Amino acid sequence: MQIEKVKIWTLAMLSLVAVSSCDNDDNKPSVEAPATYSFMRDGQSTVSFSGQTARIQMATELIGEMKDFDNATLITALEMFRNETANGGDANPFASAELNASTKSVRSKTAASRDFFSTNVTEATAIKQDFENWITAQINEVFPNENTAAAAGTAGQIADGSSTRYISAKGLEYNQAVNKGLIGALMLDQMLNNYLGTAVLNEASNRADNDAGTVASGKTYTTMEHKWDEAYGYLFGTSVNPTNPVSEIGNEDAFLNKYLGRVEGDSDFAGIAQKVFDAFKLGRAAIVARDYTVRDEQAVVLRDLLSQVIAIRAVYYLQQGKNGLSQNPPAYGQAFHDLSEGFGFVYSLRFTRNPQTGASYFTKSEVDGFINSLVGNGNGFWDLTSATLDQISNSIAAKFDFTVAQAGS
Amino acid sequence: MKKVLTLLFVISIVASCSSSDNGPDTTDNFDRSAMLVNWADNIIVPSYQAYKGELDELKTKSDGFIASPSVATLNELRTAWQEAYKKWQHVSMFEIGRAEALTLRNFTNIFPADASEIDQNIAQGNYNLTLPSTNDEQGFPALDYLLNGIASDDASIVNALNTTNHKNYLNDVVTRLRDLGTEVLNDWTTTYRDTFVNNNGSSASSAVNKLVNDFMFYYEKSLRAGKIGIPAGVFSNNTFNEKVEAFYKGDFSKALFLEALNAAQNFFNGKHYSSSTTGQSLKSYLDFLNTIKEGTDLSQLINNQFNGSRTSATNLENSFSQQVTTNNTLMLQTYDQLQMNVVLMKVDMFQALSIQVDFVDADGD
Repeated sequence: MQIEKVKIWTLAMLSLVAVSSCDNDDNKPSVEAPATYSFMRDGQSTVSFSGQTARIQMATELIGEMKDFDNATLITALEMFRNETANGGDANPFASAELNASTKSVRSKTAASRDFFSTNVTEATAIKQDFENWITAQINEVFPNENTAAAAGTAGQIADGSSTRYISAKGLEYNQAVNKGLIGALMLDQMLNNYLGTAVLNEASNRADNDAGTVASGKTYTTMEHKWDEAYGYLFGTSVNPTNPVSEIGNEDAFLNKYLGRVEGDSDFAGIAQKVFDAFKLGRAAIVARDYTVRDEQAVVLRDLLSQVIAIRAVYYLQQGKNGLSQNPPAYGQAFHDLSEGFGFVYSLRFTRNPQTGASYFTKSEVDGFINSLVGNGNGFWDLTSATLDQISNSIAAKFDFTVAQAGS
Repeated sequence: MKKVLTLLFVISIVASCSSSDNGPDTTDNFDRSAMLVNWADNIIVPSYQAYKGELDELKTKSDGFIASPSVATLNELRTAWQEAYKKWQHVSMFEIGRAEALTLRNFTNIFPADASEIDQNIAQGNYNLTLPSTNDEQGFPALDYLLNGIASDDASIVNALNTTNHKNYLNDVVTRLRDLGTEVLNDWTTTYRDTFVNNNGSSASSAVNKLVNDFMFYYEKSLRAGKIGIPAGVFSNNTFNEKVEAFYKGDFSKALFLEALNAAQNFFNGKHYSSSTTGQSLKSYLDFLNTIKEGTDLSQLINNQFNGSRTSATNLENSFSQQVTTNNTLMLQTYDQLQMNVVLMKVDMFQALSIQVDFVDADGD
């Protein structure tokens, strides 16, 4: 009887061991991230994001074109957005021959994520149209008034310190709307709502292929590895040192990289760039280790942090704009420049991703409401009040853990 | 006592290891054979028979027009073309077996037709319609051009077609269309039906897995993209009012779309061709597995979404060409409704049925 009991206990314990030894999550060695974003297979790098680099470069030329009063036309500017002629033919609008040879375009990936827009092309098409409208208005409304002094209701130029800004009749710099709007509609949307989502990462046989180490046809990487890298490329695709890009954060482009750098430079948020980089690195290492739990945890971190970057900069510029307008006399040029940047970041809020809900932090009607408050009334920025700017700022900050004061300076 | 415990011990090891190591379980007790039989005998073959009947009628009316060209015989031919085109919507999704080998869809319904190539073929009288490069110079879209678009009014169309070369081309296109459809039907009724029904396993090459993939591919590429998404500019920088189905007829694109949507939903529900009876189907398979998504039967969600697409399309004009010009947003809304069913079927249904998607949108960088 005594022996029988011991055996029973032994068997029971063994069963427990057997159960836990087969549990996927607990028994795997934890994923270790390498020191840099460098991943190899058979002696060759498996990291590739040339398509993202190309789109950042196209977007860079586009926002440059919008300020090129001497040479830009509606045709060239729209061609840079579409990389196609108005009739759908091949266009060569870029200074770079490589970009001209590319079949990619900024427009095709604007508001084009799988998770947010594959079943909402109605809104996606309207968003694409917003960008084309801003480009068109810059050429048709602002360009003719290059040498007119701007006033409430009149497009033209306005001094911002020693700089000259070119604004719409409502005070908006359309080039800033496009520039900062693309940070959300192109970079953030593609990263958080496309490439880092399980719909894309696990599509078709991606998981089985990655488990088996089966590479994409003619490539060194598995499709899943590549999808993750494509997200990475929208942030670090023009980095001078893409395997170790944190020290140069903010200096690499005029888009998400630049503004992650700006948030990093605010002592309230210092360390965020390293956290973003670490999450990318660990998530990629997790794919190599076939640990999809760790991978998806890093996607959560990235959605959280990068959504914050957009919200922080939106609040920052709205508060800076408020400060400019509060001066006596109001520093309109300075304030409108900040508000134009703020406008683009507010527009970009639509593309943020709340990891808890899986949806954007902001509904379409919330963002439409903010935009309408900024430019929908009377002469737009010219008629804005501090109360309105605080109201929007508070509504944005309320969704996150930072305060308006932390973001605003 | 000891034996029982030992047995429990062994079972606990097996049970604790099996689920995580073996991947998706691809065997269930659903009677796939019964579903294949229902598909073949009550849907696919009767649909092809109906299609073939209309193709024969089309040939008859084409012969009648060629023998005696007039506005009256032209209108009879047009009616036959419309009826056959509608029946085509019921077989297009079944691109398997001989249809797959022939690439039937490519030779039957690639639109828009290449009008200038067709004109050139007619003028030169020298063409080979079996070449893949000629797939937009034949089929229903080519007939659409000949019967509705080659001249501006009915009398001029009769006139334009009243040359030996035009009549030859018309006859060649009609004959090829009929022969291709007939060939596929004959293959089903002689040998392929049994091959199809007996291939009742659950591997990637089994009839169920293949046809479900073919159905999904058709739904995405032809129904969703071809009929709605491409003209609405979903995949491009512009809308394309000329890239609609039955462009020259003008007021027929919506009818064809609704026909195709009904056919796809009927297939999902296992509804017998031209009957209200239903048999084993993707719907009954999902119900058998008791597949629930967010508290609702997945089959119900999919049917709701088919219905939602139809409701959305009721707002569209008969001519999609008109629609994309006047109010493209309505086209985009219909596209969104269709796309929501891609998610429900291609992700949730495929997963529930343990079927691997065998095609991917090549859309990356």
